[in-house]
Amino acid sequence: MVRQVKQKPMNWIEKLYIFEAFRGLYVTLKHALRGVFRYETLPTVPYPEQKPEINHAYRAKHRLMLRPDGSPRCVACQMCATACPAKCIYIEASTSADGRIEKSIQRFDIDHLVCVFCGLCVEACPVDAIRMDTRETSYVHRDRQSFITSMEELMDWDPKDYPEDDFQSQVAPGGKRNKEALDSWGLKVN
Amino acid sequence: MSNYYDMPKLPTAESPKVAIFVDGQETFVPGDTNLLEALKAVGIETPSICYHPFLPVSGNCRQCLVEQEGPRGRSLIISCFTPVSPGMKVFTPKTSLRVKNARKATNEFMLVNHPLDCPICDKAGECSLQANYMESGHDSRLRENIGKHYHGSPDHAFIDSKGQTRGGKQVVLGPRVTLDEERCVQCDRCVRFMRFVAGDEQLQLASRGDSTYITTFPGQELDHEYDLCVTDVCPVGALTANNFRFQQRVWMLSRTPSVSMDDSLGANLWIDHNHGKIWRLMPRCNPEVNRSWISNTSRLAYLNFDKDRLEAAPIETLQSTVFAAKKVAIVAGGACTLEDLAAIKALQESLGAKAELFGGTSIPVVEPDGISKSGDPLANRAGFKAMQVPDANLQELLQKISDFDTLITIHSDLIGEDPTFEKLKQIPNRIVLSAFKDCTANAATLAFGVKHWTEVSGSMINSLQILQKLNAAPTAPNGDLKPAYQVLFALAGIEITEVSAAWKQVQDRIPTLKAYQRDSILSTGLKLEGVV
Repeated sequence: MVRQVKQKPMNWIEKLYIFEAFRGLYVTLKHALRGVFRYETLPTVPYPEQKPEINHAYRAKHRLMLRPDGSPRCVACQMCATACPAKCIYIEASTSADGRIEKSIQRFDIDHLVCVFCGLCVEACPVDAIRMDTRETSYVHRDRQSFITSMEELMDWDPKDYPEDDFQSQVAPGGKRNKEALDSWGLKVN
Repeated sequence: MSNYYDMPKLPTAESPKVAIFVDGQETFVPGDTNLLEALKAVGIETPSICYHPFLPVSGNCRQCLVEQEGPRGRSLIISCFTPVSPGMKVFTPKTSLRVKNARKATNEFMLVNHPLDCPICDKAGECSLQANYMESGHDSRLRENIGKHYHGSPDHAFIDSKGQTRGGKQVVLGPRVTLDEERCVQCDRCVRFMRFVAGDEQLQLASRGDSTYITTFPGQELDHEYDLCVTDVCPVGALTANNFRFQQRVWMLSRTPSVSMDDSLGANLWIDHNHGKIWRLMPRCNPEVNRSWISNTSRLAYLNFDKDRLEAAPIETLQSTVFAAKKVAIVAGGACTLEDLAAIKALQESLGAKAELFGGTSIPVVEPDGISKSGDPLANRAGFKAMQVPDANLQELLQKISDFDTLITIHSDLIGEDPTFEKLKQIPNRIVLSAFKDCTANAATLAFGVKHWTEVSGSMINSLQILQKLNAAPTAPNGDLKPAYQVLFALAGIEITEVSAAWKQVQDRIPTLKAYQRDSILSTGLKLEGVV
């Protein structure tokens, strides 16, 4: 349905244009001066110096979750690579060094130039090995090759940056629950 | 367990049709086979685990249950072991809830001993158990028990970080096959394959009841020319081939049906490839040729298909050499398709009296092994005969070396197969059309790279006089490479780019093939009568 919006007709002062032009200049000047004298009241963020506050639920750069011993949780099932609509995940699998685990990753590359940040890889993962909660949104590199993020880079994160009730993150080395997880990980296996 | 089972009788085109009642409807099915195959022939699929059309029926999985009306009412029977009899009344899940529930219960019991690791299982996507689970419905009363019971060898057991007994994840059975004991469902297909098809009983079911597991005899390993076939017959991911293990997920692969050109039986193949790379060769079922078996030699040959490849050269250099020659010897080798042979004949005709044809291979013909090899390394020998290309006169070439000033070999590694052919270096111009940098190509004055047989469309006649079709898998390492027939036809002055045009040239030279269009040849081949 088409809705007609009726505009209020301009009165004669507005029709003169000259006063309205000065009123526009006044608005511009007001905000410019506010940026100089009352900077903290501005709704915007001075981006490179100050980073915006981003929620953990925001779909940002990926990270690979870690087992208590620091090895990647990924079992190289390639569900994420299958689900990926942009085909930006490249995985090479190999036999795991740990006899209890069958498969592990040799290579896990995400091309962040191709990635569309849809989050389907996180949805597809059966072992909660890939997440997009790093809150990193800027990707600055000098060549295209550097945008391909390697497995080591994806595994390089600190449990301290993640909430304490995030059990899976705190299980990783350096995390609050690493010791107790490592005990159950190491002890019960013969 | 009994040690002897009967092979199933498979329906053929000549099977007598008998009337049976399926779900109360009169249906005409092949009468000389088992119920499972008869139902399959009329389009009713029955789930099965242990049944394999080319293995003896053991009937241990109880997955293929149907109901049959007998004198004492309706009872559940296994369809794989029940012969069809006229007038029998059979009920499938379409009308019988009892059959549906019984199949589901069988599937549930199998899953109780089976880990739920489909995401990391190499068989996921082509697994019978997975397919049956999807068919029988996802809900299960035993759900919390699924995958909780370890039943492999006690030596391989461990307790995982969740406190559950597991084990046997990577049991090395032999140099090529790895066993996952958790995933095994004890269908004993692999045992039956080794016992009845390979004829070398290397695998056994050890222990009994719920703790049965697959193993080799103590101190021995699984090592046989056909041992990788056990990974094909395995309905689950228990037996995996080391060459393909963890390489790719099966749903990422494209399949091209083709024919193995290393033996004159022409074993039917699936070429599984993606992104221009062959990941595995699988046997393609053809009841008259290789059933569903393929030897390790043919199966693992793909590992070298992309190595040491020759580069394409401009065809003008070839033309100038060939037409300046005074006397040309043209040698056709083992992997020549009918199209290649037609092109060789065309080249000979265009060169006239100064060209002489040779063909064959120095690799000796051995006894057929009765499974997927006829023992004759010249794959297209029947095609050579039909095309009237000599198929065994290489020694003549050696005697007449001094007559020739130019030698063209096509898909033929003369020197690599027999070092006495080093003498061919006396011929001043040696042109090689080959896919690989083999010994002959290294000794050549002009080595011209062409496509390998996995990358060309063509046809061949096997030792059983079956005309079989090769299809091109898009795996050529270089876009400039052309099929050998295209290069040879160009030398003969005939412009051919499509395989259909090359097939017309074949038809012109073998009149009995006139009746068949290339597209009308089935994937299982075409039995020829009286071509050779």
